[in-house]
Amino acid sequence: MKVGIVGVGFMGTVHAAGWAETPATIAGFVAQQPEHARPLAEKYRAKVFPSFEAMLDEVDVVDICTPTHLHYEQTLNAAAAGKHVVCEKPLARTVAQGQEMIAACRRAGVKLLVAHVVRFFPEYAQAKAAVERGEVGAPAVIRLTRGTFRPKKPSDNWFVDVEKSGGMMLDLMIHDFDYARWVAGEVESVFAKNISSTHPGAPVDYGLAILRHRSGAISHVEGSWAYPPPLFRTRLEIAGADGLLEFDSERTAALTVHLHRRGDDAPDVPLPGSPLLESPYTTQLKAFYRALAHDEPVPVRAEDGLAALQIALAAIESAQTGVAVRLTPLPEVSS
Amino acid sequence: MKIGIMSFAHLHAEAYIQNLRAIPGVEMIGLADDDPARGRQFAEQFNARLFPSYEALLNEQPDGVLVCSENANHRPLVEMAAAAGVHVLSEKPLATSLEDAQAIVDACRQAGVILMTAFPMRFSAPLLEVKARLDDGSLGQVYGCSTTNQGQMPIKHRRWFVDRQLAGGGAVMDHTVHLADILRWYLNSEAVEVYATTNRILHADTVDVETGGLIMVTFANGTFASIDCSWSKPLNYPTWGGLKMELITERGLTVVDGFSQNLDIYNQKTPAHYWTFWGSDPNQAMVEEFVSAVRDRRPPRVTGEDGYKALEIALAAYRSAETGQPVRLPLA
Repeated sequence: MKVGIVGVGFMGTVHAAGWAETPATIAGFVAQQPEHARPLAEKYRAKVFPSFEAMLDEVDVVDICTPTHLHYEQTLNAAAAGKHVVCEKPLARTVAQGQEMIAACRRAGVKLLVAHVVRFFPEYAQAKAAVERGEVGAPAVIRLTRGTFRPKKPSDNWFVDVEKSGGMMLDLMIHDFDYARWVAGEVESVFAKNISSTHPGAPVDYGLAILRHRSGAISHVEGSWAYPPPLFRTRLEIAGADGLLEFDSERTAALTVHLHRRGDDAPDVPLPGSPLLESPYTTQLKAFYRALAHDEPVPVRAEDGLAALQIALAAIESAQTGVAVRLTPLPEVSS
Repeated sequence: MKIGIMSFAHLHAEAYIQNLRAIPGVEMIGLADDDPARGRQFAEQFNARLFPSYEALLNEQPDGVLVCSENANHRPLVEMAAAAGVHVLSEKPLATSLEDAQAIVDACRQAGVILMTAFPMRFSAPLLEVKARLDDGSLGQVYGCSTTNQGQMPIKHRRWFVDRQLAGGGAVMDHTVHLADILRWYLNSEAVEVYATTNRILHADTVDVETGGLIMVTFANGTFASIDCSWSKPLNYPTWGGLKMELITERGLTVVDGFSQNLDIYNQKTPAHYWTFWGSDPNQAMVEEFVSAVRDRRPPRVTGEDGYKALEIALAAYRSAETGQPVRLPLA
């Protein structure tokens, strides 16, 4: 299996490291400016493809690690060429785009895997499994927090360009929207507030969303690009009819290092997580590899990526309009 | 100074009676209760004088009373005390309807007596520290807050806590007003909109009031804050619950926990480990403030109006939970 990785930023680098742990071959990389792909190409003894089209002839799988607004067109092109697609979250910028992507991949008979990596983080995976085993009973009140600083980029910071990324509520909170739905089922309404709508001048992004699931469960989702670097915290709490399950990245920190500061030494994009023998990104790509090579199921379907996208966009709409937004069931998801 | 306690319906009376006795110059004259058995039980437990009626207690001409009846029964006792010219510290929520809350505020104003609402978190040392930093500008403008006041389902303390009539509701009525009050105090701003959604999955077999609730309050200054009022701490949780706030401000993140100052105790004879609180006692400071306000004939640091405003937010949450959309304030 030959994989072409599109995008050589933070996520392209992480995915390359993951693919390298699978039997797949990294055929090469595509970058907006080909010279930016050279270091990764050298590291993995792979090619620098001059263009997306040039890559299509030489790969079986296209791994899309580009800014969100590019996912749609690149997925359609890969599907048209009969290539399987791994796509970073969020699946797309709009629900209609996501629906088209799913339809195109179904028509082309290729798989579309959405990288909702949080489902592969052991603490989140184990919490989901504990709920499935009934250890806390039916979920009632769920609280999910994901907070860090605003991502930086050496140039062209697409993260803070709402047209490209959808902003923090789409780029970051989608992880927990997906997780809330995974644990408590379909979402019927969303009410949200965020800073950019209420404080246009504020140099931070912060959002709170309250979800109501069809099961009657309610979820509180908190997302922040408002912390000072290098802080990154995640928390999860599931209160169910028979008990409570809690995770707090700060309380479970297995390693704490306090160093004297040397200037601004925070990374551009924070990478979450506790020390593990296998990175959750690698766990994810191994699962994707098995799904593609042996037709094994993965714990996240393209339809899940679409549903998470719908929740995130509803939250953004609610924050903009000031009213609770009811979600229309999507045919892709309910079928 | 003479202080009495009207009703032991609320379990906080069990703490306040000891708080009163710890204040030099205060004579805790005793208690009265409309439930004779309850009155006898606590009079005996705390070795206190039991008055045969509220009238008998007020005839003793105390300077002030603590009203600790069921939430829905604050109004008649406060009105009785005010008519007797006695200052009042009322348990929270001030009432279960805005009509009653307004009547309570009006009765005390007309009688010229002090009315204080029992919001002990105003006297929590960690929360006061944050208030000082907000006021001195070192945190900058507050953009958003995520707050929780979760607890165990309180039926084991008193049955009426889960009685819709006497308590005025479930988790929303029980746990929203503390944080609603702290947020108003921190932000120096009034709530203009409330959204809420509630459910009854926790303890669904035991109670018929809501046990889960998530609330979003927006203030006039633009700050938004969520409140989780759920009874979501299991019955084997190391303590009754807690109150936490996270503030996103101009300068970064501030996290404050009103009840983290605990020892962890592991006793081999008990199945679960538990916590004991070693922080400063906010109840003591609150009762002292009431006594001090009565002594100096000045408004207390938390007033009846504060109790009214916090109740309004909780009642708006119920209205929003019914309609599924945010509700504008003021309600009345």
